[in-house]
Amino acid sequence: MKQTVIGLTLAILPLTCVAAPESYTFDPYHTFVHFGVDHNDFSTIWGRFEKCSGKFSIDLQAKTGTLEVIVETGSVTTGDSVRGNRPRSRDEHLRSADFFNAVEFPRMRYKAGSVKFNGDAPAELRGDLTLLGVTRPVTLMLDRWKCAPHAVTKRWICGGNAVGTLKRTDFGMKWGVPATGDEVKILVTFEAFRD
Amino acid sequence: MMRRAILGAIAAVMPLLAAAQVESYTIDPIHSFLNFSVDHLGFTTIYGRFDKSSGKATLDRSGKKGSVDIAVESASITTGDNDKGSRPRSRDEHLRSADFFNSAEFPRMAFKSTAFRFSGESLSEIEGQVTLLGVTKPLTLKVERWKCGPHPFSKKEMCGGTANGRIKRSEFGMKYGVPAIGDEVNLMMGFEAYRD
Repeated sequence: MKQTVIGLTLAILPLTCVAAPESYTFDPYHTFVHFGVDHNDFSTIWGRFEKCSGKFSIDLQAKTGTLEVIVETGSVTTGDSVRGNRPRSRDEHLRSADFFNAVEFPRMRYKAGSVKFNGDAPAELRGDLTLLGVTRPVTLMLDRWKCAPHAVTKRWICGGNAVGTLKRTDFGMKWGVPATGDEVKILVTFEAFRD
Repeated sequence: MMRRAILGAIAAVMPLLAAAQVESYTIDPIHSFLNFSVDHLGFTTIYGRFDKSSGKATLDRSGKKGSVDIAVESASITTGDNDKGSRPRSRDEHLRSADFFNSAEFPRMAFKSTAFRFSGESLSEIEGQVTLLGVTKPLTLKVERWKCGPHPFSKKEMCGGTANGRIKRSEFGMKYGVPAIGDEVNLMMGFEAYRD
């Protein structure tokens, strides 16, 4: 009888492992979406969205996961926020209808329904970005990934970096192309606490 | 005969004149930013930016020489966390404090070049010295992008590019949080400068 119970437990254990997706919430103080764009073929301008939120769920045994991130478009900064005697600063221009149109489209959304693993670590997110009301597929590659207890709080967290590129004209953002580059590099740096 | 001698003399002097043609440039603060990145607890990378910098440069294209002098306002640091909310301080406030940049006592960081190195016609490396928290150390910046030419709209002559380097902040006495918050700091400067 005892042997049967042990046998049953052993048989069920792998199933419980497989069916163990964990859910995580992004830490807004350590999660940022950055972007880089060519400027007149002379240099690269980097920017950052200062406010985003989101969750993901990951099943490290089954190697599946889903993710959803919402980015506040009005939180874009590029280091030029004071207009001085100009009609507007670059950050104001970026929030205008020429670029992110933050009044009409206050949020961008990235939703990934499929994760490709490389060994035990997630390596590639396949998802859709909705920007300016247009939804297009965007793939992000994870170039860092680590899960462990936080060094100070001991709460379990996962963190990493994800990179990708998109063409802003695909989303209808055409102002200044090609002097201000069409291709936009995306860099997401993140930490997320297990719920 | 006389005429030929004059032409000869001019031809001989011309390269010298060209070699001595030093152009001076002023950094465009709206398109020049020092960005940095640092490891956070082994999980992710925190990026930050100094929003205010200024500087001058000289360039002798034919002599393949030049100089650059940049000042960065340490209090202009931003990392996207500037609202303390219910915490004692935001990360940006902490970075400006004596734990990190001590911007009350050291309002400026500086980079002063000692040599420009060229690869063909392009600037490829800038050797210089960085001063942070009153400590001066050598730093070589690798120039990853470099281009000089007229601005596409204003037609003003300019040079622009990106330059990368790496420092260990503890060598300048900035030890807070090492190694949980990385000692090694990557520097990435995107710059544009107009010819004076």
